[in-house]
Amino acid sequence: MFLVAIVLSITFYNQFSEVLTNRILQQLNSIKTLKRLQVEKLIKAEWQSFRSSSDDMFHDDSLQLSLPNKVLETGIYDFTKYDLNREFTIGLVDASDGDCRVRTIPYKKIMNILLERTGMGETGESYLVGEDYRMRTQSRFFKDSTPHNIVVKTVGVTNALNNKLGKGLYKDYRNIDVYGVYGLIAVENLKLVILSEIDKDEVEAPLKSLKKRLFVLMFLVIVIVILISLFLTRIIIKPILNMKNSLKEMAGGNYNEISKFAKNSNEINEMFEALADLKKSLQGAVNFSKEIGSMNLNTQYTPKSKKDVLGKSLLKMRDKLLEFRNNEHISRINNKRQLVEGLENERQRLSRELHDGLGPLLTSLKFYIDNHVDDKDLRLEMGKIIDNTISEIRIMSNALSPSIMDDFGVGAALTNFTRDIKKASGISIIFEDLLKPANSNITKNQEIHIFRITQELVNNTLKHAKAKNIRITLSEFDDFVSLFYFDDGLGFNEDHVSLGSGIINIKERVEICNGKIQMQSKPGSTTFDIELPI
Amino acid sequence: MKTIKLVIADDHELFRNGLKELLKRHEDIEVVQCVSDGEELIKFVKTHPDIDIVLLDITMPNMDGFEALNKLKSVNTNVKPIIISMHDDGNYIAKCAKMGAFSYLLKNTDQEELVKVVRIVSEDKKYFSPNISEKMIDYMSENTVSEDILSKKEAEVLLLISKGNTTKEIAAELYVSSRTIETHRANILKKLNVKNTAELIIKAVKMKLIS
Repeated sequence: MFLVAIVLSITFYNQFSEVLTNRILQQLNSIKTLKRLQVEKLIKAEWQSFRSSSDDMFHDDSLQLSLPNKVLETGIYDFTKYDLNREFTIGLVDASDGDCRVRTIPYKKIMNILLERTGMGETGESYLVGEDYRMRTQSRFFKDSTPHNIVVKTVGVTNALNNKLGKGLYKDYRNIDVYGVYGLIAVENLKLVILSEIDKDEVEAPLKSLKKRLFVLMFLVIVIVILISLFLTRIIIKPILNMKNSLKEMAGGNYNEISKFAKNSNEINEMFEALADLKKSLQGAVNFSKEIGSMNLNTQYTPKSKKDVLGKSLLKMRDKLLEFRNNEHISRINNKRQLVEGLENERQRLSRELHDGLGPLLTSLKFYIDNHVDDKDLRLEMGKIIDNTISEIRIMSNALSPSIMDDFGVGAALTNFTRDIKKASGISIIFEDLLKPANSNITKNQEIHIFRITQELVNNTLKHAKAKNIRITLSEFDDFVSLFYFDDGLGFNEDHVSLGSGIINIKERVEICNGKIQMQSKPGSTTFDIELPI
Repeated sequence: MKTIKLVIADDHELFRNGLKELLKRHEDIEVVQCVSDGEELIKFVKTHPDIDIVLLDITMPNMDGFEALNKLKSVNTNVKPIIISMHDDGNYIAKCAKMGAFSYLLKNTDQEELVKVVRIVSEDKKYFSPNISEKMIDYMSENTVSEDILSKKEAEVLLLISKGNTTKEIAAELYVSSRTIETHRANILKKLNVKNTAELIIKAVKMKLIS
């Protein structure tokens, strides 16, 4: 834009200057031509009148001339060099009759023609120069000096004397640049150069003012251009820079610190909306990955489009993690189950060993004593000790794993267990067995877990709760079995259960059975609601 | 005096021998054979129909005492089983009595008692000691099989529903979970073939389940 303004200005200036120069030169040319014709006409007219009259007899004396004494031939001459005052004199000589007649053309007549300055402006002038390169007519600029004293050896004069018509820009006798037009006047023996010149400065005055104006215009254009570009910078570049910074921030991984900007045009607005969308979708992805990072794997995420590679891979990652976690969960439960089942099997084995191995041995011992000890008192006493040992073993065996559970199920086992506890502790404990009397669907393992959970709960109550009443209900339905436990003890804080209180074991067993457990505890009422699917 | 022919079925050899030694000292009792599980017992009884009594253990490999009791019924014989077991729970006693055992002895029973029971049973009489009877009766009283349409618990739930209690109140009253009460309620509706509480009350009154 700036360049265009300059190029336009220069072109315009050049064009204008050329036209102006041409116009000036043409004008000068026509002035020169007109004056040449007038001068020639004057001379010819004078010549004609001189030839036709015969009475005009002048002698040297009447003229202020000092003509050479040699015989003059008929013709027109430049007599300036003979003039005493070195005034421009055109001499007319007629020597046809042997007599020599001489007349001069008055200087004033010629000057009248030349001084006509129509269309010549302030500095324009027309003048004549002789063959000797001396000025013939009065200079406009040196009014006091004799023209003959002024040497005019300019390009114009030289060219004209070589019979070349022309025009151009050259230095005149004052050594000042002028536009000039020159031509030769050649009548008979007379040879004069006529020049019309005008100062370059005057000609170019409008050009200069134009130049000035153009400069001013250009300056204005530049200022406007700068202002406009500043304005554009403000409305376009600045938001773009802001956006660049935002993108940089985002590239650096920060998706939050993106401020709002002034939005000036629709395009910029749309770009910012797109940026906001990008930010939103990135933030969505970021939040989603955060959730995944903290293993909240049930978080949902919808990919922004079919090509949302990031979203898709995040989803894939989530699914993989979910699968991994599930597998891990399953294997963890399996490990626990195996551990617990191993423990239970070992308990059962030990219980059987005591009950069915050691028990009969002791009874055998008793038979042996019966058979071989004859002293009745001793026999009875020994028998008593053995009976006590057997009943102790029975208690141990039942505590390890009640055989009654194998033969009669968890209901019978718990009935026995609670009855024993009631006897031992004096607490009021009521167990209600609402299992199906026939065709119960509870598995052996579930029975063991239910028994152990109840055992653990009762032990907890006895150890910590100082309760007076315990109520246990075991109900079986088509698809689940419910164990409801209540005591009226001190209660506990669900969040701060000490590890020793066995609640962790209970939860573990519930988990192994894929069951649910709900606890509620306050002084006077603690309940456990456990459901196992069957 | 007729001797009592007796078989001992127990998987512990030491016990069998001890018992055998003990019984040998009584002239009216003859231990004909000792077997180590139910299968052997059944096989032996089939070929020896003149056996009077079998002293039968419950916990045995291959075929346990319960199954042996069952099988003995189908074998045409006079043999009268006496259970001699380590288990002192009412369940076992009741179950054995139900399945045709003539008596139930604990393994640490005094020999006087043992011999007494063998002699009573040999006369085709069932005998359960006061101690054993008490355990059996305790168990039976706790586990009466109801002939009613509704179970005992369901009847309780129905009564509380008819009194206008909410599920939560009933659950608290009966020491069970709310879900258990809901399930009971659904089962009651199913059993009485009604669709809602209003119909249930009407039908229950009609059936004199509640007054």
